[in-house]
Amino acid sequence: MANFPPSDGSIDGHEPRDGRERPASGVEQSDLELVRRVQRGERGAFDLLVLRYQHRVVKLVARLLRDPTEAEDVAQEAFVKAYRAIGSFRGDSAFYTWLYRIAVNTARNTMASRQRRPLDYEAELSESEQSVVESRMRHGDTPEAAALSEEIHQTVNRAVEDLPEDLRTAIILREIEGLSYEEIAAAMDCPVGTVRSRIFRAREAIDRNLKPLLD
Amino acid sequence: MRRVFALAIAGVVALSLPRAEAAAPTARDWLERMTESLATRDYDGLFIHTAGQQSETMRIVHRMEGGRSVERLVSLDGNGREIVRTPGEVHFYMPDRRVVLVEPRSDEGSLLKALPAPGPRLDSLYTLELRKGGRLLGRDVRVLDVRPRDEYRYGYRLWLDQKTAMPLRSEVVDGSGATVESIHFTRLEVGEGIDPRHLQPAVDTTGFQWIRAGRRAEPRVAGPPSASWLPRKMPPGFRLVVSRSQAVPGSPIPMQHLIFSDGFASVSVFIEPAPAKGPAPSESTTVGSANAFSTQMSGHVVTVVGEVPAATVRDIATSLAPVDAELPRTDPAPAPAER
Amino acid sequence: MTDQIREQISALLDGELASGEISLLVRRMERDAELRRAFGNYVLAGESLRAPGGLTASPGFAARVSAALEADGAAVAALPVAAKHAPRRWMRPLAGAAVAAGAALAAVLFVPAGEEGSGLLAGRTDVAPAMTIASLPPGGSSPTPAQNQRLAGYLMAHGQYASPIGRRNAWSNALAADPGITRVALEIVERP
Repeated sequence: MANFPPSDGSIDGHEPRDGRERPASGVEQSDLELVRRVQRGERGAFDLLVLRYQHRVVKLVARLLRDPTEAEDVAQEAFVKAYRAIGSFRGDSAFYTWLYRIAVNTARNTMASRQRRPLDYEAELSESEQSVVESRMRHGDTPEAAALSEEIHQTVNRAVEDLPEDLRTAIILREIEGLSYEEIAAAMDCPVGTVRSRIFRAREAIDRNLKPLLD
Repeated sequence: MRRVFALAIAGVVALSLPRAEAAAPTARDWLERMTESLATRDYDGLFIHTAGQQSETMRIVHRMEGGRSVERLVSLDGNGREIVRTPGEVHFYMPDRRVVLVEPRSDEGSLLKALPAPGPRLDSLYTLELRKGGRLLGRDVRVLDVRPRDEYRYGYRLWLDQKTAMPLRSEVVDGSGATVESIHFTRLEVGEGIDPRHLQPAVDTTGFQWIRAGRRAEPRVAGPPSASWLPRKMPPGFRLVVSRSQAVPGSPIPMQHLIFSDGFASVSVFIEPAPAKGPAPSESTTVGSANAFSTQMSGHVVTVVGEVPAATVRDIATSLAPVDAELPRTDPAPAPAER
Repeated sequence: MTDQIREQISALLDGELASGEISLLVRRMERDAELRRAFGNYVLAGESLRAPGGLTASPGFAARVSAALEADGAAVAALPVAAKHAPRRWMRPLAGAAVAAGAALAAVLFVPAGEEGSGLLAGRTDVAPAMTIASLPPGGSSPTPAQNQRLAGYLMAHGQYASPIGRRNAWSNALAADPGITRVALEIVERP
């Protein structure tokens, strides 16, 4: 089967592509709808966008800062900035692309305020992107965070492995291959409604396992 | 991926400026060349603007059209604001406020003559020093230091392109030597061939509120002032160069706008009728090298704005006093426009 | 019933929820922390599958952002205290800061370069009221959007009359986001 990138366009914090290889995905479209609601005054819609992108933004910011312990504070600042500036988002790029730039800018300013010589950002970024800050990230900022990250990973993996095959296939095609419900329906030869239900039940199973870990 | 912008500079036009004598250009000459380049050349560039601890990437496009300059300044880092200056109007797009501010454009032609050019007076206010620079953006540069002789002004450090005198990098420096604001170009194209479409705003203004400053805004070279308030104290060297009044939407009383200049820096004084509600504490605002001080006195709101330190705008603002109608007049001129 | 709603949340995450159903769901999620928690875990599951063991936001992160947005309007940032006003002996009366209209004034305002300290007010110090400036206790405020807009308007008008480099600086600052605003209190002492 075809190997598409996740439909929200980003992998592991790298800058998402703006040019679309396929028509605007469901996620981009639903992000746009949420943004429109925020622009009309529905604060709750922004909370959903935060929930959706919090991990990616925290991970991205941690990658850029020399000191990942501040990642959450700076990520929070980036979200606040995005909220304040939401009026200027026009939808000609994906929401995450726009949010990504704000997060990069926020992290950049934080670095600058510490170093006092904010020269040559682009070079700084590419260096840190290429360097193996990966390993620092994988271990999180503290031993506890590292342990938690690892436990989350184990828990999710175990839960997925324990799933009945049709649920497991559905969730993997969705989350890792990034296929839409229609594409999954075609791949699994079943109705779209069934796909939706299978993905839901897979998530519920994972959630049941995660809940005691995170509460 | 937003990498380092390509540093290739296309089509640099080496403009040969007329030289009256063969003597080596002085620091003053370089300053004048820089001002002229900024005002009259076509260019399109990207720069990083840093003020305090915030920095933003911006784009500036400048083009001469029929002898008048048009330009566009855009913030590229999220808030989407931009300023577009067309032959007739200046538009300030604020997508975050869903507002466009519109001002009629000042008629530069006649005013440029009145604005004091850096004259001999400049030397008494600033020291200018020219030094060899290295290379920036693939060009040779000279470094021009403009240092004020007192604490009422800011200093400048300018990295000027040897060929065009365009400032590839500039820093505004305060009395303690700290950089208050800086502009570093990461890409700059100078010369012909700027596509006029690059001067179109990128903002969709559907549903925006358009706020137009009043029509009656013909600036006058300083003559008998129509202002009813004037500052009593100014730093040495500042002269009143323009006095204009502008209708304020929704009020019968126009706003006065006075512009003072020392030949390099300028300061604006705005005097408006105060809103009905009671007195408010004064406000001091700093953004980069722009300082503003706003205060209320006797039913007026006075705001002083300029590229000078905060203490300077505050001192000017607090020295404002009404035109005193009791002083003897030396000729039977009509009474100053009283408010 | 709850299952149906949670299934909608799952579909929303995948961008597969009908547009008409989004608003209602958003409002439900605003009111129900459990629904938000579930959404968060669905997101986490996906992130974990795609990038195992990577850094993730801690469980309380989204709630903190939400709280920060609530407080945004009333945010008080500590700004440097405005310096106390010290009398400045170097400021000279503006050459030509005349107080009478007419020819005398015109002559004074067009003082040729190099002349200073002339004009009607040279030496006059008894007209302006004395002012002292005290600062309010530290705690300047985050500017309101209206303040931002007003400042933008002033910078815009000022920039028009500045030199080219002054205009570029003034307008760049007008485009920047948040100026720092300090409030000071002015105490006006009128001279008799």
